[in-house]
Amino acid sequence: MTSYFGYRLLALAAMLCVLPAAVFAQEEAPGMIHKVTVRAAPTGVTPRTPDGHPDFTGVWNGMADNLLGVPNQMHNEGIAVESDHSTYDVLSGAKIATWPLAKPKRQNGEQNERAATLLRRMGASRPIYKPEYWDMVKELDANANEEDPSNNCMPAGVPRVGSPSYIGQFPNYLIFIYPGQGGLIATQTMYRMIPLDGRKHTPLQDLDGSYTGEGIAHWEGDTLVVDTWGFNTATWFDQLGGYFHSENMHVIERFQRNGNTLTWTATIDDPDVLLEPWTTTPRIQLLNPNPKAMLPESLPCSERDLAHAVTKEHH
Amino acid sequence: MSTRAKWMKVLTSAALVTLAFQCAGAQSGQTRTNAGTPDVAKTIKAVADALGMPRTGGPGGALLPEIDVVNRMEIWGSGSSSASGQASKTEYHAALGYNPLAMRLETTRTNPGGAPQHTIQTVRDKYAWNESQLGAGLEPGRGTATPEMAAVKERLLQLWLLPYGVVKAAMAAGDKTTVSLEDGATVLTVPLSGELAGVTLKATLDSKNFITKVVGQTGGGMDIEADYSDYADHGEILTDVKSPGHIVQKRGGATVLDIQIKTWDANNPYLVFPVPENVKNATRQESSKVAEK
Repeated sequence: MTSYFGYRLLALAAMLCVLPAAVFAQEEAPGMIHKVTVRAAPTGVTPRTPDGHPDFTGVWNGMADNLLGVPNQMHNEGIAVESDHSTYDVLSGAKIATWPLAKPKRQNGEQNERAATLLRRMGASRPIYKPEYWDMVKELDANANEEDPSNNCMPAGVPRVGSPSYIGQFPNYLIFIYPGQGGLIATQTMYRMIPLDGRKHTPLQDLDGSYTGEGIAHWEGDTLVVDTWGFNTATWFDQLGGYFHSENMHVIERFQRNGNTLTWTATIDDPDVLLEPWTTTPRIQLLNPNPKAMLPESLPCSERDLAHAVTKEHH
Repeated sequence: MSTRAKWMKVLTSAALVTLAFQCAGAQSGQTRTNAGTPDVAKTIKAVADALGMPRTGGPGGALLPEIDVVNRMEIWGSGSSSASGQASKTEYHAALGYNPLAMRLETTRTNPGGAPQHTIQTVRDKYAWNESQLGAGLEPGRGTATPEMAAVKERLLQLWLLPYGVVKAAMAAGDKTTVSLEDGATVLTVPLSGELAGVTLKATLDSKNFITKVVGQTGGGMDIEADYSDYADHGEILTDVKSPGHIVQKRGGATVLDIQIKTWDANNPYLVFPVPENVKNATRQESSKVAEK
C-alpha cells in the first residue's frame, strides 16, 4: 500500500514536470518567420528617357519599408524594423528595444487599434509648430475621429496623399494617380497633371486654394522636383497627427528612382504656423514587377460616421 | 505504519511536490533560473510587458516583432512638493519624450496666504533651461528662456527614474544590467550612460512585475528615491500602457514630491522640445570656457 502510494506521487510529480513543458513549449518554439520592414534593396537598371532623365513611368504600388506599409498614404512613422531583434528610428538613428515573437500574438480589434495608435506616433520626426499651436495640434490628433478633414470621403490632399501609385512621364508634363482606399482609411481617388515645361508659378494671391494646389515640376540632376503652392486649408499634411496648415503652405516633393525603387520625400514650409520647414522621412515604393500591371479599380469610399465613435481610440 | 514510516511518507510527498513545482516554474518562462536567481532578460521583458511597452502590429495582421512603443507622454497630477523644507500644494504637469530625450516640467506651488509660484523647467539632451511661458524664447516677443546648464543631469535623471526609463536603460545597458533578490523582492540594477554616466538605478519589482521603487544612486550621497503605486491605464485615450497613479519622491529620506495622478497620456501625443537659440549659444559659450580651462 505504501509502495502504491509512492508510485502515485511519483506519477503526479512527473505529470507536473511534463505538463508545463508541453504548454509553454508552444510559446518558445524557435524558427517562426516574421515579416519585418527591411528597407527594400534596389534591383535592376534605372530606365532613362531620350532626353537622358530617369523615367518614372510605371505602377508603383509595391510596399516597401513602411511599418504599416499601405501604399499611397504618407504614414511617415519613421520606424525601421530591421530584424526580429533590431529596430531603429529613421530620423535620429536611435535604437528601439525589440523582442522577437515566438508565435502570432492574438489581439482583438481594440488591442490592435491601441497598438497602432502607439506604433504610428512613436517616431522622432515631428513638424515643429509655433508654440501657440502646440495644444491645438495635440487636440486635433486626440479628437481625430471628429476632426480629421479626410473623414467622410474627402480628399487627402497634397502632401498627405503621399507618393503616387501610377506615374505617367511625358516630355512636358507628368500624370500622377492616387487610387482611393476603402476600409478604415477611406480616401477619395486623386490625380494630378503637373507641367514639366519650365513655366513659373502663378502668383499665390491669384490662385484659388485647392486640395492639390498648383504643382510645377523641374529637374535637379536626376531628381524630379515638384514644387506646389496654392492650397486650401481643408487638409492635414500628414496621415495622422493633427497637422493642419495655412493657405501659405509650400510643398517641395522630391522623387528619385533607383532601379525598381522610388524614393519620395516632401518638405513642408508654412511660416504662418511652423517654426521651421519639416521634411518627411523617406517613403520607398516598389515598381510593380509585372510590366503589364494595371491599377485596380478603387474601392468605393464609405463614410464611417467616426464623429459618433464613443471612444477616442483611432488609427 | 510506524511513526518513522509516516514521517518518511510525508517528507517524500513534500519533496516530490516541491520538485514538481520547481520543475514547472523553470519551464514556464518565469523570471527565475533553475538556481532560483532571476534571469535578466526575462525580468526586463516581464517588467516591459506589465507596463504595456512591447507591442506589435502590421497590415492585415502581419507579424512584426514586438517593439518598445513608449516615446512621448504627458502627465497631470496634484499633491504636494517641498523646497527648502517648506511643503506646498502643487499642481504638476509633465511632458516628456525618450527620443529625443526631453522633459518639460510645469509646476504651480501654492502656500497659504502666498501667490502661486509657476515654473517651467525644460531639458533636452545636453540643454536645460527655464521658460517664462510655454515655448518661451522660440519666437520674438514670446517670453524668456533662461539657460540652466547646471540642471541638465538633475532633470535628465527624472526621465530615467520613471518605470519606462528603467526598462529602456536596462535594455540599453545590455549585460551590464544585473538582477538580484533582495528581501524576497526582485531588484534590477542598471548603470546609466551618456550625460548620466556614473549614476546607477536600483528598481524593485512587485509580484506583478511592476516597478514599485527606483533609487537613483548618484554617488554624491544624495540618492533620490521614487516610489510608484496604483498602476493602471490612466490615459484619456486608452493605450493599454500602464502607469502609476501615485508618485512619491524622496531625497535623503525626506519626501520632496507626493503626487496623485489625474491623467497620464501615453499615446505618443504631439509634444516637442525645440531648444531656443539663446540656450544653444549659452551652452556653446560655457563649453568653450570649460575647454579653455
